[in-house]
Amino acid sequence: MNEKKLKQLFSAARREPAPAPNPDFAADVLRSVRQEAQSKSPDQFSIFDQLNRWFPRAALAAAAVIVLCVAADYGLTAAGLPELSDSVSQASSQLFFDVEDL
Amino acid sequence: MSDDAELLQRIRDGAPDDFAEIVRRHQSRVFAILHRYERDGQRVEDLAQETFLKVWRALGQFDGRAPLEHWISRIAVRTALDHLRKDKRRKNEIGFPELGEDALDWLRSDDEKSELDARSAAELLALAMRELSPDDRVVITMQEIEGCPVREISAVLGVSGIAVRVRAVRARAKLKRALEKIDKDGQLQPAQSTKGET
Repeated sequence: MNEKKLKQLFSAARREPAPAPNPDFAADVLRSVRQEAQSKSPDQFSIFDQLNRWFPRAALAAAAVIVLCVAADYGLTAAGLPELSDSVSQASSQLFFDVEDL
Repeated sequence: MSDDAELLQRIRDGAPDDFAEIVRRHQSRVFAILHRYERDGQRVEDLAQETFLKVWRALGQFDGRAPLEHWISRIAVRTALDHLRKDKRRKNEIGFPELGEDALDWLRSDDEKSELDARSAAELLALAMRELSPDDRVVITMQEIEGCPVREISAVLGVSGIAVRVRAVRARAKLKRALEKIDKDGQLQPAQSTKGET
């Protein structure tokens, strides 16, 4: 195999046409890109991002609980029933004296 | 029609669908590169898809200093190199493909004016290249077929320009020996494939 023949071989091989991509190739690639983006999206959020995402909901839930408690307290007072705080202190003093009696 | 830089900016600004336009613009070049290393059409398409996924993942690293086409081409060659490294063992196990009579006749002919058609030449070259390591194949293909400068090859392989030149000389000698074997025996034998090459 001499140098000239080797160059001829390279030159002829260079002329071989490449296979043409199928017409949907770009769309297929884009589909794969989207699938990859979807499968990786949860990892792209840090713990702070997750907290930021959840904070508005957590804040609303906490506000709802506070409103419910205040409303229950007012309701009980209006109905003439002892307040929640009175019942709690009564229960704790009973427990305290019961323990001391023992 | 916007240029590559505008398209890239739109993608970065949150329009990922514009990536399809990038693919359409560069797919022919990527297929042409990959076809130099893999002759099976379906596998070329799989490798092209892998190439563009790598391009998508690395878009943030593209600094625009070189044309986008060069950057994508480099990713395609690296994808081909990874493929050759993975595929070397499998090809040694399945044996060698048959070579057409035209290629053998041309190889045995002393007439320097006889010409070989492009397809037969590519088949003959692909068969002989199987005697070379994946890195040697990349050097020969980029230098002799693609006509790439040494600095481009050294960037793909991650070695110095001198190392590329030395490797090119050795790879060329190995390729000549492989072609002489085909000339002599009419075929390469799987047992003759090189081992322990890097």
